[in-house]
Amino acid sequence: MSVIDELAGELSKLPGIGRKTALRLTYHLLKQPRERSIRLARALETLAERVHPCQTCFNPTEDAECAICRDPRRDAAVLCAVEEAADIGAIERAGEFRGRYHVLGGRISPLDGVGPEDLTVSELERRVAGGAVTEVIVATNPSVEGEATALYLQQVLAPHVARVTRIARGLPVGGDLEYADGITIAQALSARREMP
Amino acid sequence: MTLTLLTLAIRDFRNLARVDLAVPAAGLVLVGPNGHGKTNLLEAIHYLHVLRSVRGARDADLVRFGAEAFHVAAQAQGGAVDDVRIGFARAAKRKKVMLDGVEAERLADAFGALPSVMFSPRDVELVAGPPTERRRFVDIALATTSRRYLTALQRYRAALVRRNATLREVLRRGTSDGATRVAVWEPALAEAGATLWCARVRWSRWAAPRLGALCAAIGERERVTLEYHTSLAVDPAGEADETHVREQLAAALERDRGQDLRRSLTHSGPHRDDITLKLGGRALRSFGSAGQQRTSAIALRLLERETLCEQAGRAPLVLLDDPFAELDVDRARQILRMLGDGAPGQTFLVVPRGDDVPDAYTALSRHTIRDGVLDA
Repeated sequence: MSVIDELAGELSKLPGIGRKTALRLTYHLLKQPRERSIRLARALETLAERVHPCQTCFNPTEDAECAICRDPRRDAAVLCAVEEAADIGAIERAGEFRGRYHVLGGRISPLDGVGPEDLTVSELERRVAGGAVTEVIVATNPSVEGEATALYLQQVLAPHVARVTRIARGLPVGGDLEYADGITIAQALSARREMP
Repeated sequence: MTLTLLTLAIRDFRNLARVDLAVPAAGLVLVGPNGHGKTNLLEAIHYLHVLRSVRGARDADLVRFGAEAFHVAAQAQGGAVDDVRIGFARAAKRKKVMLDGVEAERLADAFGALPSVMFSPRDVELVAGPPTERRRFVDIALATTSRRYLTALQRYRAALVRRNATLREVLRRGTSDGATRVAVWEPALAEAGATLWCARVRWSRWAAPRLGALCAAIGERERVTLEYHTSLAVDPAGEADETHVREQLAAALERDRGQDLRRSLTHSGPHRDDITLKLGGRALRSFGSAGQQRTSAIALRLLERETLCEQAGRAPLVLLDDPFAELDVDRARQILRMLGDGAPGQTFLVVPRGDDVPDAYTALSRHTIRDGVLDA
């Protein structure tokens, strides 16, 4: 197998990249200045060698603990549990949350053979059992599996922490009521609130 | 309003390699020996309605032997869309649906876009077969006419297969928190299940007198009744309050959890309910004669057509797969008369021999089919 085929083969294993795109990327790398490709290769190498899950919250980091866990200004009493590390980025961009995180590493998915023991649930339980945490916000996706995971967390965490909360479901801001599906509207109605 | 297909194009669907038809407004008759692809043509048209095989076949098995993909496309008027194209590629296992030239984001968007009702000899299973057949019947009628029902059905099925997989996993590995692991799927089941339950009960109440009248009109002398049969401790004859049903369903799931864990099966919920059909107070399924069962099955299809007309506001296409083969002449004539009453709808009739075409349809333009090839 040629080097070109090998690289294209590796690239096509990435999510969202098919055989054609992989070849296009490979030829693009061939055409660009050498140094840039080498920089990319080094970045990949560093990523693979140095980045690992944070020992506390499982957010990827180069250190023992991630920057959020080390930041003394972040509230250690409030944890936000998310399915994947990428979800942290989404919440951080909103700039509203000042607590810390816990990355579950997925969701309960019996059809893929993923149970609670395959997630970082017991680690979260231990974190919360210390007593310093007053609230866990469960921010798993509002899918059937995300909801089941949230319920499971509530069951196992409730004995250890004062509040287990769930992020709200409903209409997206700037959305159009006309195009929302029935379940979303039903949720939005049942979670309605008094206007100030 | 009446839905009318203007053109129909089929590629590599079952034994139909290539079909290009301009369809007359009234419909058409297709004549051909058994096993040459008559029913396949109707199945392709019905695929435009429910995006799956009416005969329960897997998509991969619908691709013509030796081909990679199938396509079914139609131009229509009087439907929710004017142009539907569906393709399925065996290798990618992917279904692609284009509605008026735009790819549908979700398959649900295309569900029921070009509605049709298919009358076939297999329909007797609706009456004589297991409860699955009747649940499937009512699910399709309601899901193609209500987006809310379709969403609830998808959610319910998703939660059900996951709860059952969890039951098996817990039984296999004997985890200590088995009950909790199973319970986390129940709120979704109760919520979506209540939506299904209430919609089915409402439909059953709407359908019961109509079915009785249809059967009587076809020539059935004894009274045919229809009831929703449920294990839930809620009276289907009472007012269906979704919150109450949800609570009852959640309670039943909790109550049966121990039994469910032992047998790796979810015992309560709308997926176990049935539509009970009776003739003079006795179960049609076990006591009805072959002719009575056939008459009731045809009446159920007429009822499906009424449901589509009423809910979607347009008459669906009528697909007749040699449906009167085993009926006596009088009943067949009655049914044809009922199909013709009101808004008849565009009709696609397939029969084995030219002599089998009922008088009412002799005016329709006629095609023949042999080995999957239509005459020009």
